[in-house]
Amino acid sequence: MSSVRLGVSSAILFFVFVIQESIISIVHLPISGFSLYLAVLVCLIALEDHNGSVVMGFIGGLVLDLSPTSQSPFGQWALIFTIIGFLVSNNLESVGDFTSQPISFVLFISIGSAFALFIYLVVGLALGENSGSFGHNLLVVAGNFIWTLLFTPLFLPVIRRLRELTLTSRERV
Amino acid sequence: MARSGSNRSRLLLVTLLVSSLLLITLDLRGVSLISGSRSAAQTVLSPIQKATSDIFAPVGRFLSDVKNFGKTKAEIQDLRTANARLKKQAVLNADIKGQLTQLRKVLDLAGRGGYKVVSARVIGRGSASTFSQTITLDAGSSSGIRNNMTVISENGLVGVVKSVTVNSSIVLLMSDPTFRIGVRVARSQSVGVLIGQGTNTYNLELLDPAGSLQIGDSLISIGSDNNRPFIPGLPVGVVTKVDHTETLLTQSATVKSFSNLNDLGIVSVVIQAPTTAPSKPINPTPNPTVTVMVTPVPAPSPSISASPTPSPSTSAKQAKK
Repeated sequence: MSSVRLGVSSAILFFVFVIQESIISIVHLPISGFSLYLAVLVCLIALEDHNGSVVMGFIGGLVLDLSPTSQSPFGQWALIFTIIGFLVSNNLESVGDFTSQPISFVLFISIGSAFALFIYLVVGLALGENSGSFGHNLLVVAGNFIWTLLFTPLFLPVIRRLRELTLTSRERV
Repeated sequence: MARSGSNRSRLLLVTLLVSSLLLITLDLRGVSLISGSRSAAQTVLSPIQKATSDIFAPVGRFLSDVKNFGKTKAEIQDLRTANARLKKQAVLNADIKGQLTQLRKVLDLAGRGGYKVVSARVIGRGSASTFSQTITLDAGSSSGIRNNMTVISENGLVGVVKSVTVNSSIVLLMSDPTFRIGVRVARSQSVGVLIGQGTNTYNLELLDPAGSLQIGDSLISIGSDNNRPFIPGLPVGVVTKVDHTETLLTQSATVKSFSNLNDLGIVSVVIQAPTTAPSKPINPTPNPTVTVMVTPVPAPSPSISASPTPSPSTSAKQAKK
């Protein structure tokens, strides 16, 4: 993963973060909200190479930690997405089976986003945070899964195209 | 070579994990650089949020209207029924109204108009990637807003200011699971703690095991020292279900808030409580049925005029009349 691509990917992530915080957060969807940012980050992590997925996870988590509405300690999302990046990098071939097919990739992103939220709850619990009732949190995670499943096909081609533009000639090969 | 690559990967992973844990530790220890980064992000985001709110708010409202269409219809029907009932009561209420006005003056109740407030527009909601229930307002410290100030809507309590920048502020909604407020049951004067559940309902735990709770009881805020974070006498919610579990040491109940937190457009931040109000506005005497006056659907009961313990001043005024 080249440093230029790292910078460009970070800029894309920050742009998506701004969209998430300023536009998507206004729309009040039933069940719970949709997180475009989580979906895009999971997508980018899945498309990276061994080290790239871990680094992308860490940077993506750091950007998400900037969320002013977050009550969790700064660094929690970075920790979670570093772990997720590691899991992806260790199972890169299996993940590749998902990323090659659009439908299975959408499913992977939806499950990945829900999994990230679940890990967030678990880590929050370990850090002594109060996140509310189990039933409600389950509903939030399930709601996020459903919305991600519905909306991801709309932006997935754009994200893939954007990522391809950031690839160097060597990485393309 | 492969081993070297694997070692590098491990080293990278360990470095990033340690960095994350270090950041968490620093944040929990309150290092200003870390906590300041969120404020900086808020400062950057608030103008964008403001602009996008202007553009996309009609879309959001439209979606909300579509979503609540059935509910709105039912609400209109309910309101029509309530209106017809209130018209019938209007004649009876005319007599009570005069006494209520007097009572209001005597008690110097911290009514809505008594607070010095700053009104602000809701320009954002808590991100879906966090489980916290917050809203972002388009007014900040330049408008006099500070941390731990009470935020109200037309119907009652909304939340408390959590963080402030120059032109924006983040409000922790009362529905957030970390939200706690001391409340008093208007009818029985029992004191309890209202806890956010992350949903539209709230949990009330009475501090007094022998306290009285009934469905339909109104709850008002007790208030805090120097009125921060909570001002006293604010309508909070109404009891919808009482849990009669004898094994529990305290009584609990399910509460519905007066404010509809899903449809907040404009809210007010109380920057100063009324100076004319007493320091402890929820005075046990005279009769605290005064809550009736500040509930969103006022339904004054005739018992107000037949108060068992009217204050001397009230009696004196009535006698004068």
